[in-house]
Amino acid sequence: MNITVEQLRADYRERAVLADLSFSIASGEVLAIVGANGCGKSTLLRAMARLHRPAAGTVRVDGVDVWQLKPAEAARRIGLLPQFPQAPAGISVEALIAFGRYPYQGLFRQWSRADEAAVHEALIETDLVELAQRPLDRLSGGQRQRAWLAMVLAQATPVLMLDEPTSMLDLGHQVEVLSLVRRLAAGGRTVVMVLHDLAAAARYADTLVAIHDGRVLAHGAPRDVVTPGLIRTLYGIDAHVIPAPDDGAPVVVPMVS
Amino acid sequence: MMGSRYWVWRGAGYSLRASRRQLAVNFASLILLLGLALFALGWGDVKLAPDRVWVALTGDAPGWQGFLLREIRLPRVLAALVVGAALGLSGLLLQTLARNRLASPDMIGLNDGATLAMALTLLWSPAGLLGPWWMALCGALVTTLVILAAAGGMGSQGYRVIVAGIAIASLFKAGFELVLATLPVMHSSGIYVFSIGSLVGRGYPVLWPALAGLGVLVLILLPLARGLGMLGLSDDMAQGLGVGLSRMQLAALLVAAALAGLAVSVAGPVGFVAIVAPIVARRLAGPGCVPLCSAASLGAFIVLLADTLGRSVAAPAEVPAGVVTGVLGGPFLLWVLLAGKGRA
Repeated sequence: MNITVEQLRADYRERAVLADLSFSIASGEVLAIVGANGCGKSTLLRAMARLHRPAAGTVRVDGVDVWQLKPAEAARRIGLLPQFPQAPAGISVEALIAFGRYPYQGLFRQWSRADEAAVHEALIETDLVELAQRPLDRLSGGQRQRAWLAMVLAQATPVLMLDEPTSMLDLGHQVEVLSLVRRLAAGGRTVVMVLHDLAAAARYADTLVAIHDGRVLAHGAPRDVVTPGLIRTLYGIDAHVIPAPDDGAPVVVPMVS
Repeated sequence: MMGSRYWVWRGAGYSLRASRRQLAVNFASLILLLGLALFALGWGDVKLAPDRVWVALTGDAPGWQGFLLREIRLPRVLAALVVGAALGLSGLLLQTLARNRLASPDMIGLNDGATLAMALTLLWSPAGLLGPWWMALCGALVTTLVILAAAGGMGSQGYRVIVAGIAIASLFKAGFELVLATLPVMHSSGIYVFSIGSLVGRGYPVLWPALAGLGVLVLILLPLARGLGMLGLSDDMAQGLGVGLSRMQLAALLVAAALAGLAVSVAGPVGFVAIVAPIVARRLAGPGCVPLCSAASLGAFIVLLADTLGRSVAAPAEVPAGVVTGVLGGPFLLWVLLAGKGRA
């Protein structure tokens, strides 16, 4: 499903955070929103995921304005993983994933075969079958993040929105989670994620949207967009940008001053 | 997989699921409740064995035994059950909404608002009779609105509601004391006993509306329960999964207030039940669920036990149920919290 953001404006506590943003995302694309702390990238994701009502402008998923949808309808199109998700204490991985089926359930539709199949599939996709009965709080950081992703996968939405999915993880677990994100996109899902790590974004996203002062500073493939000039503007530092030895993706090397 | 921990029934267009653990807990607590109710019906100046109670209830007993049971003990036992169930549910809802075990109708002033409303009716009553039962309901609902206004909405952090509630509770308590001080002594003693929480002399006239109210509120609650279960996740996550959060929170809060008001209208503010019953119910039910049935039955169990103890320990004098729940509830709550800390 493609997503279009048109002339989006958003305020936060009566302060303008986003001004007139427009861009679009093709079906099956992995888009990373990057920018300095406090530039509005999280607000952008929240506005796209219906958590923050924009002051003006629209966000359309397959042509439908997300703010016109009922909560459950939206939840069948957009799967959202917030930055600091919380789970009930002591809950098992499988029970957590089952929460993802909420938008398909009702008072008399509590646990259909489709629910069961979706949970099982999500366990397989995230390689968590062995850990299904383990309490979430006994997992490692990377496993836990995979469990949260599995929950969003069980939601079976064509669009995934992830807010800093790797912020608490070490390098190994970052790679593990971002590779999983790539696999999901290869399966046809459209992924929008906020990443503060420009290097990881350049490596794993098809497209970057760089936000600066609430506006789109650059939009395009990492190798076109990531330049010393962009890094200077976004973060106020000087850096070398060199191609990765294997695929030529841009690698950012800050200069020692 | 899920099959081991849940029973699932499926048919054309519907599917139902119940956790085995919860079913076992519910079944056990209902059996306990029934046992206690039979005992409570047989206990008193005239003692009847459970089989005699059964015979008297079904109508084949000598006239006076049947009268004693059906007209005096049965309505009181049923009133205790209704009050306890309403308090257990109200506490469970508030604890779930605020994501905090301290949130309960006695803590955030709903009981005090309801009691104050009942006391206010006395000011206009020349005979010193308590006002109609729905005054307590109105009192609890108005209190809720005042708390919401003071806290600036539900918010994602329950403590704002709790702090506002504690402030309002003390305000309304003071208001109640003021009313008490201005009443003639012969009128104030009745409302004083009411304000402790007591089931003395409760009969069918208060029982029927309370029972009907409880039934209606439970019907409103059932479709909300699913969304309430999602509050174990963060607000963002729950909304992302399609919970219409603010509407559900407001509806559940009003139901919680109405349940508390209903309980107060029957028995006055019986303390501690609404905080203890849901905590124990949650512990029994296991992680990640909102145990409506066991919170209700545990609340009912505690109030009936308190009332039965209250009319036996110092017979023929009666100790109000609210005193008994206070004496038992305080230490019990401490034990629950400290035991929980040791385990974690």
